[in-house]
Amino acid sequence: MTTVALMGNPNTGKTTLFNQLTDSYAYVGNWTGVTVEKKMGSIKHTEIVVVDLPGIYSLNPITKDESVAINYLLQNDADVILNVTNANQLKRNLLLSIELLEFGKPVILALNMIDDLKRSGIYYDIKTLADKLGCVVKTTNARNHDGIEQLREEIKNVPVENLPHTNLDLNYPSEIKAEINKATKSLVDNYQISEHFASWLTIQFMNKNKVVRQYALKNDFKPLLDKADMFDKNEFEEKIFQTRLSFIEETLNEARENISSTSNVEITSKIDKVVTNPILGLPIFIAIFYLMFKLSFDWIGTPLSDQLNAFLSGPISHYSDIFLKNIGALPFLRSLIVDGIIAGVGGVLTFIPQIMVLFACISILEDSGYMARAALVTDRVMQAIGLNGKAFIPLIIGFGCNVTGIMAARTIEQPKERLITTLISPFMSCSARLPIYSLFVAAFFPKNQALIVLSIYFLGIIVALAMAKFYQLIFHVKENTVFIVELPQYHLPRFDIIWRGTWDKSKGFVRKAGTIIFAGTVLIWLLSNFGPSGFVTNIDKSFSAILGQFLLPLFVPIGITSWEAISALFTGILAKEVISSSMMVLFHTTSQTTLIATFGQLFTPISAYALLVFILLYVPCFATIGTIKSETGSTKWAVYSVFSSILIAYALSFIIFQVGSLFL
Amino acid sequence: MSIFTNIIIALIIISFAGYEIYKVAQKSKKGKCAACDYKCEAKMMAERAKRQNG
Repeated sequence: MTTVALMGNPNTGKTTLFNQLTDSYAYVGNWTGVTVEKKMGSIKHTEIVVVDLPGIYSLNPITKDESVAINYLLQNDADVILNVTNANQLKRNLLLSIELLEFGKPVILALNMIDDLKRSGIYYDIKTLADKLGCVVKTTNARNHDGIEQLREEIKNVPVENLPHTNLDLNYPSEIKAEINKATKSLVDNYQISEHFASWLTIQFMNKNKVVRQYALKNDFKPLLDKADMFDKNEFEEKIFQTRLSFIEETLNEARENISSTSNVEITSKIDKVVTNPILGLPIFIAIFYLMFKLSFDWIGTPLSDQLNAFLSGPISHYSDIFLKNIGALPFLRSLIVDGIIAGVGGVLTFIPQIMVLFACISILEDSGYMARAALVTDRVMQAIGLNGKAFIPLIIGFGCNVTGIMAARTIEQPKERLITTLISPFMSCSARLPIYSLFVAAFFPKNQALIVLSIYFLGIIVALAMAKFYQLIFHVKENTVFIVELPQYHLPRFDIIWRGTWDKSKGFVRKAGTIIFAGTVLIWLLSNFGPSGFVTNIDKSFSAILGQFLLPLFVPIGITSWEAISALFTGILAKEVISSSMMVLFHTTSQTTLIATFGQLFTPISAYALLVFILLYVPCFATIGTIKSETGSTKWAVYSVFSSILIAYALSFIIFQVGSLFL
Repeated sequence: MSIFTNIIIALIIISFAGYEIYKVAQKSKKGKCAACDYKCEAKMMAERAKRQNG
């Protein structure tokens, strides 16, 4: 079996390339920090395994996810390194390539996004690059599948033994060179490690690579440990960096060819002048989100959803009931299937059109390159209140699912800032909350559906930012890390990438309908059909009524006067979609139209809005609580997150309801 | 359909629901990717590779 390690800077298209090489699909985004753990896949009909490692700028890790890559090199035996670079930013990308070339394993250098480079009016002579770097160089354009087949063939057909082992020997200053030779010889003689590995270890050690220094300590590499002070005192790290940089500049100057056409760069810079404008940037960002909700709720999603609902609550539930009656199903079983499963699970499934449209919009924003600009625009706002713009990326990923959002927080270097981002992530409105928003906006704000949902999303962001500021003060976070985000060139979103992104995310939602939403629906059916005295025909005597009525006095101040809503909120802990399916079951209806009419008697627009705010902010779902626990490594933070969010949700919806009631 | 069959079907549905809730609770304890219900391609391949490598 051959193992190919896929390594490169963040946002060089590694994940896209991985998907194409391995005929598989992993989450792709046009911004940094998408891959947080290594992924593995195999090339079809071969024994070649490709490992996709998180993007890194150098082998010296700064963040938790960056250490995955260097640890992989130290602990695993990759046969080939496939170094993916952004051809447009080769000068910076090659800094990592040099470290990989020094590692000694065969390296294939893929110059990805080669079309973008050509559009910027520059090209590199591939042969010159290959000669200077001493490795195989291939050009690819993963987004258009260009060069992928050739790359796959290169990996498949050339036996690893035939690939040249790289022998890059940079012209480091003589004092460094002498020390490298001395340490390498001593390591080879006394510790039985290969010459290449020993020389690479020495350079990395001189470079103050934390993981390598720990590795040296663990293995008691005296030739390195004894010289550590000398290496540091003589600033070997800086000298190594300068030598590498000069080598890169020299190589690129030699290989550079100028070609015409700078149209894409011009277009990108023209668009950026407007969308990242200090004054216009934020309103444009808000307008884009508004348009997104307009499409999902008003223009495309809801009309489709209404038809799906009419079909499910009409023919499907009607004929299912008749069928069950004909085969002799007793009333309780019919109720479980029709009023429970079909009403609950079906009720959630009718929101698929809205969810798919929203996911498609998010995929377009990601693929076009706008999301990186959104991070830049929000960075200004965040800096104004003393926060790091980097936190925005995990937060925006949290719009899809809070769990992945929290995982993406690993890209934040400072432990305290990472903890803050983890704690505020659940306030971002994940897609699971969409069905319940959709239900309430259709009932109370039919003409302003998009605006209301937009306000809920932005309220989530505001609460998250306010809490972040609060935590910063509490934790005494003083160090202000710099936020660097690469602005990729804009490109027209590709239909297959958008479709796969949308389908991938929507598939997760459908799957949830068959598992946890189904389970939550059955649970609420049981709770609403059984009471202390056994099976009940009057729902007011059921367990769910007892629980809801017991807590009702607490919820009246925030405008919730129906015990059904309170019981439904409890099931939302399983998964937020279950809230809407529970409402269907508790109000005994399979039709959204009937449910909306019932809501009209129980809520006012202001109490409905207060309830939506409560749902936005109260307890994270099970999976999110579990992720907070595993990412912070402490139950304390998970429990804290649960209680603090209830408190914030209650306080805010109380204010909204009480103040709102004065005016409306 | 006899009462017995009715009860058996209801019990199957309820047990499946109970099992799903148990599974979610277990997955959530692990946090990370395991908490995600969707078995994406990358996750399946990682599992396959793990099995292949023993």
